[in-house]
Amino acid sequence: MRLPKFSYFEPVSLEEAVSLLSQGGSAKILAGGTDLLVNMKHKIEVPSALVNIKKIEGLDYIRTHQGAVHIGVLTTLKKISQDPFLQEKIPALTQAAASVGSYHHQCMGTLGGNICQQNRCKFYNQSEWWRSTNGPCLKVGGKVCHVVAKQENCFSSYCGDVAPALLALESRVVVQTKNGTKDMALENLFSGKGLAPLALQSGELLKEIVIPEAVLNGRSSYAKFANRESIDFPIVGMALWLSPEKKEYRAAFTAVDRRPLRATSVENLLNQKDLTEDLIEEAGSLAAKEAQPVKTSLYSSAFKKKMMGILLRRALKETERGTQS
Amino acid sequence: MKKVIELSINGDLYEVLVSPNQTLLEVLRDQLGLMGTKRGCDLGACGACTVLINGEAYLSCIMLALDGVGKEIQTIEGLNQTKDLHPLQKAFVEVGGIQCGFCTPGMIMTAQAILNEPEKPTEDGIKRKMAGNLCRCTGYKKIVSAVMSAAEPAGEEV
Repeated sequence: MRLPKFSYFEPVSLEEAVSLLSQGGSAKILAGGTDLLVNMKHKIEVPSALVNIKKIEGLDYIRTHQGAVHIGVLTTLKKISQDPFLQEKIPALTQAAASVGSYHHQCMGTLGGNICQQNRCKFYNQSEWWRSTNGPCLKVGGKVCHVVAKQENCFSSYCGDVAPALLALESRVVVQTKNGTKDMALENLFSGKGLAPLALQSGELLKEIVIPEAVLNGRSSYAKFANRESIDFPIVGMALWLSPEKKEYRAAFTAVDRRPLRATSVENLLNQKDLTEDLIEEAGSLAAKEAQPVKTSLYSSAFKKKMMGILLRRALKETERGTQS
Repeated sequence: MKKVIELSINGDLYEVLVSPNQTLLEVLRDQLGLMGTKRGCDLGACGACTVLINGEAYLSCIMLALDGVGKEIQTIEGLNQTKDLHPLQKAFVEVGGIQCGFCTPGMIMTAQAILNEPEKPTEDGIKRKMAGNLCRCTGYKKIVSAVMSAAEPAGEEV
């Protein structure tokens, strides 16, 4: 399966990358390539140029600075999943990184690339031949969304594993722009729009992820339900962080909406409370109301909602057992 | 625009003329005749095209050939440096980890990447890491046994 034609650039600095990405056209950033190149083979992404940022030095690191954890965007998922400090302090992140694709994808794939992966849908992630039978969907230049027939909206799901973990850990991102760098909450990186899931201007790219010191003393986990454990995108994924001392809770879901979602009503219900059977049950029922998933995969909306509750209840119970032991 | 690049494959330098949209797999098989690396799904989902890039398991069907410049590329052809089979290849033959053989080069390269890691591999670790290599003859049990038996002597030396 041939890749479509494109121009190719290898900038050696972030500034050069920004300038190449700002030149108009539909240039895309190439890092690990495990998402983008597959989409290009399917001709659902056909960029005019690829800007390979892997020749830029100094973007592959995990370090702490003034208590916060800083991770460069070119750090591979394998490196993150195997980092002993992260495994001990924020297992949600290492578990999420270890659950991405296969071992090969974790060797190749980068943190930045995983966060910035394209949204997915059963009508979108298909071969050109498959798609031709149905006519193009909104996301590949067609006029209608085949999932929910509304012309102006694309309902593709965000299916990254790492983003919900980072959301539950209240991470921030440092973005390189034309005028230097800017810092924003990770939550604001996602537009909630299926057609353009990232709220980045042309010429902007991620530089690093910052995880605040405050979350390093909590407990966290990432749970994923997928067709196959070995290689699949999540049908539903959920990250949980909690502090037994402060009685604070953060939960985030993936693959249930056009962006990864913080489960704020669940958090509000749980905050400042001790976990009891009844409370866990109530939180599970509330979880199903956090999102309005649509049928972008083979699984129904009702199934996904049920799974959201199951994953949350299971994670809360496991954490409670951990607290008691 | 086509470009002449140098690729270091199995310790040899190759000068090849490539287009930006050529994958490493296409260059290995179609231009250099290194047919050991297999084209399976061609979408990064089956592991048949696994090669080692600086010792790590990469899927050559979703990696640009241009991205291989400056890196040590190892394919199944470069695994045994002597006339003898490589210990992993021997283990696959002895334990019977081969049926039709199509997935075998990818399996063995992934296994080598696992053995390249500092920790001694466990059965569970091998199963998890090799889960991205599909075998349609479904002989997984013997494949895992073969990797375990190849890992043993290395483990004893440590």
